[in-house]
Amino acid sequence: MRSWRTELFAGLVGAILVIPQGITFAYIAGLQPEYGLYCAIFVTLFCSLLGSSSMMSGPNTAVAILIGAAILPLAGRGSPLYVDFVFLLCMMVGVVQLVFWLVRGARIFQYLSPAAISGISAGAGFLIIMASLDSILDLSTFKTTFFFEKLFVIFSDAKDLVNPFSLAIAVTTIVAGYVGRRFSPRYFIIIAVTAGYLCGLLVAFIWPQPVTELEYLGRMPLQWLPFNVPTINMEYLMIASTLIPYAVAIAFIGLAQSLVIVRELKMETDQDINLDKEVYAQGVANFLAPFFSGFAGAGSFNRTKANQSLGATTPLSGMAAAGFVLILITFLGPVLTYMPMAAMAGTLFIVGADMIKLRDIKHYAQVRSELFIYLATFTSIMFFDLAAGVVVAVFLSVSVFMLRISQLDLKVETSAAGTVIKVKGALFYASVAHLTEKFHQYMDEDLTVDLQFTTHIDQSAVDFFIRESKGMTNRGKHLTLLVNESQQAFLENLGISKDIRQISL
Amino acid sequence: MKYSQQLVCGALCLLLLNAATAQQNQPSIQQLLREPFLDDYYSNVVYGYEIVTDTQTHASRYVGNSLNCSNCHLQAGTQPDALPLNVAGMYPKWRAKNGKRNGIGLRIRECFLYSMDGIMPPEDAPEVLAISAYVTYLSQGQVMGAEPEGRGVPTLPDTGYDPNPANGRAVYMSQCASCHGQQGEGVADMPPVWGMNSYNKGAGMNNIREAAGFIWANMPLGQGKSLTHQQALDVSAYLNLQIRPADPGRSKFLKLLEYLIN
Repeated sequence: MRSWRTELFAGLVGAILVIPQGITFAYIAGLQPEYGLYCAIFVTLFCSLLGSSSMMSGPNTAVAILIGAAILPLAGRGSPLYVDFVFLLCMMVGVVQLVFWLVRGARIFQYLSPAAISGISAGAGFLIIMASLDSILDLSTFKTTFFFEKLFVIFSDAKDLVNPFSLAIAVTTIVAGYVGRRFSPRYFIIIAVTAGYLCGLLVAFIWPQPVTELEYLGRMPLQWLPFNVPTINMEYLMIASTLIPYAVAIAFIGLAQSLVIVRELKMETDQDINLDKEVYAQGVANFLAPFFSGFAGAGSFNRTKANQSLGATTPLSGMAAAGFVLILITFLGPVLTYMPMAAMAGTLFIVGADMIKLRDIKHYAQVRSELFIYLATFTSIMFFDLAAGVVVAVFLSVSVFMLRISQLDLKVETSAAGTVIKVKGALFYASVAHLTEKFHQYMDEDLTVDLQFTTHIDQSAVDFFIRESKGMTNRGKHLTLLVNESQQAFLENLGISKDIRQISL
Repeated sequence: MKYSQQLVCGALCLLLLNAATAQQNQPSIQQLLREPFLDDYYSNVVYGYEIVTDTQTHASRYVGNSLNCSNCHLQAGTQPDALPLNVAGMYPKWRAKNGKRNGIGLRIRECFLYSMDGIMPPEDAPEVLAISAYVTYLSQGQVMGAEPEGRGVPTLPDTGYDPNPANGRAVYMSQCASCHGQQGEGVADMPPVWGMNSYNKGAGMNNIREAAGFIWANMPLGQGKSLTHQQALDVSAYLNLQIRPADPGRSKFLKLLEYLIN
């Protein structure tokens, strides 16, 4: 009885948090704000209905940035063609994620090291801050290759480019957010937005809009069931083929974030979470989003954290959040009309700054390889984009993993009976080299290789033994393998020759 | 010398021919609407056309009253003497209204602020870009910098009499009220001409001469130029006296100060 009330309250807070995020992320994705709200409603709803955890899904920064990056070269911002392409891309993302579910791909994300995930999150935070600058300073969209060029242009041309009214509202919002956090860490986003809104009203009262040139949110007539059939024809399919890399990148980044959140939830709460089920829920939600005029989403770090701190433990809170968004927008619509975009961007700035944590850097500074992964991921996102950062993160995590696994733990014991080499670890093509060194070191002795603690043996290792034993027979020496029963059967299957003595234990 | 002149003449003829064929080759809006796939420009043109004809649905974000663009820009901005939209070649230009150089984008944004009594969209709003594309599409074949034929509304000649709102009321009740309503609220699909759902005091239509020109040339709908010049001026004066939203171009703070001082 009490628990569902907790869930409902968590849902309400989630809804209040998601409204500014949905609007600003829709802006980042190059879409009108209502698409972000539909995403906040329907992606959240489907993910919670089909998933097994209290994770809050919905509009996601990284996904929004990538959608914008993918579609902006193809069509004008927000035009019907643009919207069609976004829907097409989101359906593709859903399909890719469902394929991931079919091959049980959730395992792959276990190889992404926590340092890489923190690096991606920090990089996304940096990108959010850079994107929020556009609205904070009221710059019309201009593109530069690197972030420092943009900063340089802003500083050198501040007098012409920066809108002081917009800046004043954004600064009020950010200051209110940080001051508000001291008093109420739970509701500081709401405090920040309210302060920005009131500051905007004051500015609008004193100066008319043609003078301030401020950008407002405007009216949002939300439909309760915005059903929409995405257009698909031959030309669109041609476009779709060029969007495949983006669809894969978005699907991967979306799943990576969601699964990291779910893994954290699994560690910190005692929820019964099934990773594959979450992948399925994400895939179905993203595939269905275009049918409800929404774009693709993923799990949200900040809203899941808020949800968790309020004590929600079931998917009910997500469903409640979806419903509350619809109700809040319907009743708050007239109030939100004069919400300055600068206030929205101010809250986005706070969210972005929160994603870059100094604590993380200190935490990972202990292990050099982890720190390297973190910094490499972060800087590649800063200088290139999120997709490049994810590629770097995956590549580095996997290579660190590979380096670790290809290292064999070799122990050499010399006795009267000969030399025994104890092999610990996986014996496969990458790690055979280590064993070769040892073999060459003890060339003139009878060798016994103890394989009992070897976790994995592959064809190249067997070939290696055959080759070495031939060489040793020529020199009049013997190779003996110490194996257990299952290994013996396995070795015979792989065609090990009779001149290697095998001692089964 | 003579030879070069001939060459220039020939080149000019070729250019003109090209312009003429380009104008003919441009697909009509009806054709574009049937196309299953459009490139970026034409998809924006169609979007702009949809916004102009059904502003309430397609640009509701920035609209504050219940008008559509095509209520004044008749026939989706293609009818001469009814504020046609084929004016892309005339911008940017200086306008007295805001005392600065106006691009087509700023002109469109101000329409949303005044005539649609809404809020100014940002410079790079998709709606503004789409309407710009549509205006460019309609301006195909016009001469850069020159006024197109039938631009804006006709300027009425001086009738020798002041506009008389009382007479305007009589004309309005007999000729206009059947569509625009006794209280100017608009009947069925016809636009309201005063009240809080109509254009505000900053709009061009709130100018007596401008509105009179529009009314004389186009009203009653389909029977344009049936009123006399004086009747059109009278109706325009009557409309000008009615209640409508305040001019958003003026500071509310200064207004409050004025009110407090007086």
